[in-house]
Amino acid sequence: MATVTEHQTYWEKAKDSGFDLGWLNQLKENVVGQEVAEVSDNLTGRVEGSIPRPGVAQFGAYPFRTKKEVWGYNLRKLYEEFVTRQWSSATDIPWETLEELPDDIEAAECQLATFFAQVEFVAADVPGRFISTMSPDYQEVRMALLGQVMDESRHLDVFRKRALANGGGLMRMIDSVTDVVGGSTDNAREYTELSTRMHIVGEGNVLTLFRLGELMAYNEAEKAIYRRCAQDEARHVAIGVLHARYMKECSPERIEEMHSYLDEAENRQSSGAGGENPAARNMLTSEALAVLLGGGKDKADEGQKILMAVRQKQVKEYFQRLKSAGLDDRITNGRVNPSLLEAYNSA
Amino acid sequence: MASTGQGKKRTARPAAKKSARAVRAKKDSGGQPAGDAKPPASTMDWMNDSPEWGMRAQPGKKGMTLDDIAIGSYGEIPDRSEEMTRMPRGAFHVPGVPRLEFYPLSKKVDLWADNAAGLYEEAIQRRWMAHVDVPWGTLEPLPRDLELSMCQLCTELAQQATIETDSIGQWIGRMNYAYYEVKTFLASELYDSARHYDVFRTRALANGGALGMESPGMINRRIIESRAGWTETAVFMYLLRGPFTLMLYRYGEAYALNAAEKRLFRLCIQDKARHLAYGMAHAKYAISEMGDDYAVGMLRMMSGVERDMATEMKDPVLWEALAIIFGGGLENISSGMEVVEELQKRYVNEYMARMQWVGIDKTLDNLAPDLAAYVKQESGAAS
Ligand SMILES: [Fe+2]
Ligand SMILES: [Fe+2]
Repeated sequence: MATVTEHQTYWEKAKDSGFDLGWLNQLKENVVGQEVAEVSDNLTGRVEGSIPRPGVAQFGAYPFRTKKEVWGYNLRKLYEEFVTRQWSSATDIPWETLEELPDDIEAAECQLATFFAQVEFVAADVPGRFISTMSPDYQEVRMALLGQVMDESRHLDVFRKRALANGGGLMRMIDSVTDVVGGSTDNAREYTELSTRMHIVGEGNVLTLFRLGELMAYNEAEKAIYRRCAQDEARHVAIGVLHARYMKECSPERIEEMHSYLDEAENRQSSGAGGENPAARNMLTSEALAVLLGGGKDKADEGQKILMAVRQKQVKEYFQRLKSAGLDDRITNGRVNPSLLEAYNSA
Repeated sequence: MASTGQGKKRTARPAAKKSARAVRAKKDSGGQPAGDAKPPASTMDWMNDSPEWGMRAQPGKKGMTLDDIAIGSYGEIPDRSEEMTRMPRGAFHVPGVPRLEFYPLSKKVDLWADNAAGLYEEAIQRRWMAHVDVPWGTLEPLPRDLELSMCQLCTELAQQATIETDSIGQWIGRMNYAYYEVKTFLASELYDSARHYDVFRTRALANGGALGMESPGMINRRIIESRAGWTETAVFMYLLRGPFTLMLYRYGEAYALNAAEKRLFRLCIQDKARHLAYGMAHAKYAISEMGDDYAVGMLRMMSGVERDMATEMKDPVLWEALAIIFGGGLENISSGMEVVEELQKRYVNEYMARMQWVGIDKTLDNLAPDLAAYVKQESGAAS
């Protein structure tokens, strides 16, 4: 390496040749800390910790620019899990294990797959919108959500592939009216609102179902699909739980509001309104699930009984999530949706 | 092919008839589809609703890919879609479902590229992990000026990735589900952009350096503020910015200071080549469909953007950092600058060639003069 004197000479020579090098001096002074800004003044898309230039147009104009609105604990670690556990629907599912199924089972499996092919990508479209409106100073949040976008894309594609791979095909589109009660994922304009309802409730319910995939699967390919999707979905739910924990500690004034989102989401969960929970009563998919769980069209009544247990399991896991998120006081203070409590108590 | 507002009705199974519920919903626009509150009686009639019962996709050599499932009516890409729900393309359409969203990008010409599905699968097959696949252990202390120059390059590249995220994030939700291949491909590009941000920021901070200056921002601004259409945005992102990013990656690989950089640049090149392959194919398709007027409009649109590019290229920060890297140290900054000039010239030439390839008649004569100057300049370095 050059001595101090040599370096001085190089520097002067470069300056004499017309090089600016002012930036290099600025870099030498730049200390990048670990602290995440409570309020972000980064409206130009610059990398967190980089040196701002005066005079750059504030084209970022990110609506989400306070840590309190978006942050979650340990998202960096969660992002690494996203990265490590990616998989391919083309090559990681043993498609060769698909065999001809009885028509009623094939139709039911395909109806369920049609549901997932229809709804999964909402959790990519909507987070995509939020990512692009969130200051890059909160990159850990953005990266976790970008991981989710990739996962949901794969979920859309793997269920479409399943529907088309074994003779059934795509079945009936889901015809639920998402706006039948307030609070659909699509409508969320605020991150905590989105996260509370989508990560904690909506995806939580789907997670329970994926975890019980063994009950709905008729071959190794389907088992693999549900198992892998469950792993992914657990990370999405974790984004919400980690955000809720942060909010509980750092924005306690918003906890009441979060409970209001949960009121709406529980209503949707218990009634099937909005069409987000495929296991809910009144859903087209609940019939398909009953066929799969019972083992055929003629055993759908038996399947409905199992489906009731599935719903109870959804509630049980939801209550556990509330506990983990620090929002479980609603279970004991009379606020939780009575039909969920009833399902929980009768489990 | 015609518009597909209405999905197919099933035809394959013998008991085919329009489902009772579908008919009911059509008769009664105030009907109560599932999930509205009042449960319909169980009929299992949905079991008859597959439009393509009996059709089976077969996995190919690369597994079960999106191309493998583009069979029968499922593989038909509509010229436009009036379906404003998330109905999977080819599913059984139920009348009377209210709109869920207004998708402004509902025409094939707005977003399509034939290679999107294949590129999506490739993105997944060639995925990599910044924290695992880059041999970070090969980083060794570098002279301060050299290290900080690499930090400056990495800061610029991490910011370019951020802008890509922000732009695609704005557009992806506005794309109609009839073109799910493009949506899923762009999801993979979003994910790539997270990885690029991560790997460049990590490199900047991994070897005793710091983060550098933010970008001058003029092209970032153009990309983010682009509103006229996805195709216009794609021209900014994949024809103007994209080849520039790719060029920086290529030179980054060629002049890497250690095995970690060599590897990370090489991996990023693969990703970026995929992004450009989609963007170029889409622009070419859109321009061929829209015709000469549209191509002329693009040409005129770019003249202003090129002036911004030329202004941005006058900023010395990135070029001086690259000159130090290419020269191997501050002492060789002048010889490094010759390589920079070669890079600039190659970039502008490549921009013009790519514009020509997609059908925009970009020539030296209509190129912003300050950009044309890079092509005309005599470079001392070997090309
Ligand atoms: Fe999912
Ligand atoms: Fe999810």
